[in-house]
Amino acid sequence: METLLEFAKGPLFRLTFLVMVLGLIRIVVLDVWGAIAAYRRAGDKQLAWGTAIRNTLQWLFPVRRVFTQRPVYSLFSILFHVGLIIVPIFLLAHVQLWESGAGVSWWTLPHVWADVLTLTTIGFALALLLGRLFDGGARFLSRKQDYIWPILLMLPFITGYLCANAGMRPSFYQLLMLVHILSGELIFVLIPFTKIAHCVLMPFSQFIIALAWKFPARVDDKICTTLNKKGAPV
Amino acid sequence: MRTRIITAEQREKAFASTKKPQVIEKQRLDVRYHVEDYEVEDRPRRFLEAFAAILKHTNYRFALEHFIRISTKCSRCAVQCPVYQATGDAHDIPCYRSELLLSVYRRHFTIAGSLRGRLLGTGHLTDEKIEEMADSFWNCTACRRCTMECPSGIDHALITHLGRFILSEIGIAPRALVVSTREQLEGATANTSAIPLPALKDTLEFLEEDMKEETGIDIDFPLDVEGVEYLFTPAVSDFLMEAETLMGIAAVFKATGGSWTISTKYYDAINYGLFYSDRMLERIIRKLYAESERLNTPNILIGECGHASRSAKYYVPVHCGGENAKPVLNIMEYTLKMLENGKLKLKPDTITDRVTYHDPCNIARQGWIVEQPRKIIRAFCSDFVEMTPRGTENICCGGGGGTVSIDEIRPYRTAVGGKAKADQIRATGAKYLIAPCANCKKQLRELVEDQKIDCEVVGLHDLIYKAIDYKGSYAGLSATQEKG
Repeated sequence: METLLEFAKGPLFRLTFLVMVLGLIRIVVLDVWGAIAAYRRAGDKQLAWGTAIRNTLQWLFPVRRVFTQRPVYSLFSILFHVGLIIVPIFLLAHVQLWESGAGVSWWTLPHVWADVLTLTTIGFALALLLGRLFDGGARFLSRKQDYIWPILLMLPFITGYLCANAGMRPSFYQLLMLVHILSGELIFVLIPFTKIAHCVLMPFSQFIIALAWKFPARVDDKICTTLNKKGAPV
Repeated sequence: MRTRIITAEQREKAFASTKKPQVIEKQRLDVRYHVEDYEVEDRPRRFLEAFAAILKHTNYRFALEHFIRISTKCSRCAVQCPVYQATGDAHDIPCYRSELLLSVYRRHFTIAGSLRGRLLGTGHLTDEKIEEMADSFWNCTACRRCTMECPSGIDHALITHLGRFILSEIGIAPRALVVSTREQLEGATANTSAIPLPALKDTLEFLEEDMKEETGIDIDFPLDVEGVEYLFTPAVSDFLMEAETLMGIAAVFKATGGSWTISTKYYDAINYGLFYSDRMLERIIRKLYAESERLNTPNILIGECGHASRSAKYYVPVHCGGENAKPVLNIMEYTLKMLENGKLKLKPDTITDRVTYHDPCNIARQGWIVEQPRKIIRAFCSDFVEMTPRGTENICCGGGGGTVSIDEIRPYRTAVGGKAKADQIRATGAKYLIAPCANCKKQLRELVEDQKIDCEVVGLHDLIYKAIDYKGSYAGLSATQEKG
């Protein structure tokens, strides 16, 4: 068990973390690359930068948006994200691991807050999952991954909370810790290839949709040629 | 086939009034849009060919790539979609509509998707899917509210726009739009309503006489004057249906001493290309621009029409030289400018009845024309009330995206698409509903009639016409004869 735990903490963590980072870099580069190519081809290069920046900020920090539509859902969703982002990055135990492994460290979350945020994240993830199950519209849209993700995301939070707070036999602790680490690493690997990619792609959305309406100039002829429609009536 | 909100009775009634029921009867969709009958087996191949050609030559691909990665299926867009709110049918949720096309893109145009599809032998494009797309994309009124509400920033309106474009390339597009566009681009009259030039001249002369009689002033419609400041093109249907709007516009020009002209060769700003085909959009824009070159006017001015204004404003630069292209203005921008620089005087409190204003999606959504008309209205109306929501977040009249031209689906438009708007109008208790858009006006008139709302739908310049103080305005005109 201990060797397994060491393997999961060491080489496997490095590998999965690398996959995540490289995967995210890849999609960001593809996104930006595509946008630059589209900008070059656009017939009109005057973009509403101000609007795009404003919309981006409004969605990254959706304070104003909360109570306009579906307030409960919005609030739950935001609070869920707050814990989800803050706890893994600023948890004392995680930062200590970074310090011992890579020699870097940063501000850490007080223990009480870490517990509170962990519990709220679990609670809101559960609520969002139930919301998806019981809202007709959302259920209709949902794919398999939409149900799997909240469960998968809850897993490291639940196991992490138990490991930090519940007294238990060492062997059981190690088992829980292993689940905690492996589920976290599974999440790392999946992020760049699933919908969770929105964690890095979201800031680009508003610029991309502003640009997407700027069509390239004079494509009528080219499309007609490709489709053998030259001279065809309307 | 899923059941729709339109009852069989409504549908029968709707089809009884169509011109060519025998053609429509042959087709299988509940809401029937096909231009012509099709070879069923061949459609998926042709769809994919058209999709590929469009991806090759346009800018859609990078946006689709972004959308397939980022879509979280949160269903938040559902709360903003007036169609879904009215039907309650999950097939009408914008995100579902988008997924129809995104799934085709994922399966046939991405490596991972096509590998997965081939391994499992699933997900390829079928005739049924095309049919569902044709059905779904034309249920949308292209109001773009869903785009504003998507936290991930997926532009469902862009996806629907693209979907319609691809479908049109394989012959699936509303007959009304295609026939009109054909007449505009290739017909003898060069306009969507097929109004011949002599009829236009007659109409304008008649209106000039009317205005002389009503105001005592010689207000004219200058035709084909070269080198003037503005080439003015309204939605051509205004010449037949919205004469009072045009009279108001002519009166504003007269009072402010504006130099403007209407072309006799091309007098239609309608651009149905925006609704169904980028290729047609481009052709119509280039035709309009060529006309402004011929008459050597430095500005293009579009009448009270939402989609015509948007397509000219945003696609003249795209197809006619970027930032060097001639500026495009909406008539309300001109009128407000004149009001603000004092060249136009309106008599305050001319209209004392309650007035409300409907924002046409195509000019309001991006925040282009929101405050301008309100400033003008406040200058001469004493009881102006707003609808909620308004401005950039307004609710569509229910006839957007070209659907208003399809008379066959009037019951759908007034019972489903326009339901939210009807509730809004009723809540204001207004006597006049100002809608500066030919498209919205037609829809809203049908809406207030079918929903039995006591309210008159007018253009902004219809009312301005009654309020102009000719003597106080720049040109300083006074009546040369007693009012008739």
